[in-house]
Amino acid sequence: MTRVVEVPAHFDDRSLDQFAKAYGEPDDERLLFDAHAVQWAAPYGLLGLMVAGQTTVEQGGQRPRLTIPTDRDVLHYWGRAGFFEFAGEWFEIHGKVPRVSVSRSSEVLLEITPVRGSDDVHGVVGVIQERAAAILSGELGLEATATMGFAMALSEACQNIVEHAGTSGWVAVQSYHWRRRLGRRVVVIAVADAGMGFRRSLQTTQGGRYGDRWGDATALEAALIQGASRFRDPGRGQGLGGIRRYLNRWDGKLSIRSGTARIAIVPSWDDDIPLADSLAPFPGSQMLQIIPAQQAE
Amino acid sequence: MNSIDLKTILHRTVSTGYGDLVTRHTGRAVRGGVEELLEDADGSQVAVIDFGAVGCLDISCADEIVGKLLLVHGSARHFLLRGVTEAHCEAISLVLERHSMAVVAEDRCGQFQLLGPLGETVKRAFAAVMENGPAAATEVAARLDMPTDATERVLDELLERRLVQQEAGGYRALTAL
Repeated sequence: MTRVVEVPAHFDDRSLDQFAKAYGEPDDERLLFDAHAVQWAAPYGLLGLMVAGQTTVEQGGQRPRLTIPTDRDVLHYWGRAGFFEFAGEWFEIHGKVPRVSVSRSSEVLLEITPVRGSDDVHGVVGVIQERAAAILSGELGLEATATMGFAMALSEACQNIVEHAGTSGWVAVQSYHWRRRLGRRVVVIAVADAGMGFRRSLQTTQGGRYGDRWGDATALEAALIQGASRFRDPGRGQGLGGIRRYLNRWDGKLSIRSGTARIAIVPSWDDDIPLADSLAPFPGSQMLQIIPAQQAE
Repeated sequence: MNSIDLKTILHRTVSTGYGDLVTRHTGRAVRGGVEELLEDADGSQVAVIDFGAVGCLDISCADEIVGKLLLVHGSARHFLLRGVTEAHCEAISLVLERHSMAVVAEDRCGQFQLLGPLGETVKRAFAAVMENGPAAATEVAARLDMPTDATERVLDELLERRLVQQEAGGYRALTAL
């Protein structure tokens, strides 16, 4: 038997919950991810799709099928963003994959890149400093020194995978003009993994403090607001705080989804809610950082 | 004065291809390299940790290098961070805040500053010692327009945190060495 999981037509952080609901809990059925009608996908959506495929395979399920978008422009973007470089490992792809080279352009600052260890983080940080400097200071109007902070925020986000996920993950960075949602250009960092998630990672050191209240939402609060870590080393747990401080400085948004909850540091330009609980479960953790173009005083 | 170039240690201990101090793994390896050099160095001299050729420094690496070096060796040695950028200072300051520690840093233009969660009076006293060279508590008190006993308490805090040194003529900044 095959179960069809519909990929949202506009696949981003807002529609991931819809995708998670369709993905559901693993079962014996073979999955078919149907993306044929996708009209637009943000890096966050593409990484969510990757995580779903990876989880299915890593949990011993049959490699899922994936029908790719029929829209030529959408398909070519997926190619430029590097989706097909790794998708074959997790999906049996149905449809003709375009011969488009992965490109680091003014749009795709960092193609979908696997994060498995410290070396990958070094690679990502090295690449992004070259690519992002012109965009951050030129197009977004951030101070020239902001590039280093950006690389720091990216590094810390990737290290969450290395240190906490227990499996590999993915990162992608993109710049685009958010005409409808914000009316400004933004740079977006998407990081996702198919690992154990915040609740399981923090269970040993933090679970007892919360008792019956312990869950995905409290785990996210403990990590992001209180700087809790699964390690007893007092120096641990500072990475998310550093990301938060950097994004606050540039009026950016930070959102982390894990399990059935999502926590966000919401800037004035966004209408997200700070904490959402009882969402459809989804494997691992997904982080989104958005830095908007600065507005003139 | 012992000067320890972090980029050289990074290349020696982790990889010649890296220019950034990122990840805990890297931080641990670089700290190990620094500690090896410190073992052979004269402990009475200021250990200068040179960030001049370092690109990005993330918080995890700052914690492993600066945080743990100060935690383990900070009560026995004086440290000076040289060649730091504004971005380095941000990462290091977060770490110092977490551990309630402080350190003297010199930027790439040769300007000195205290990093860490210190009160305004402590920072002013440090600035007075730095600007005046070796100075007695009475001189610093006059400059700050503070009672001498209160000034002595502030200077003692700087001394205890190994942010200044004491000599016959009074207090002197690490920068004056």
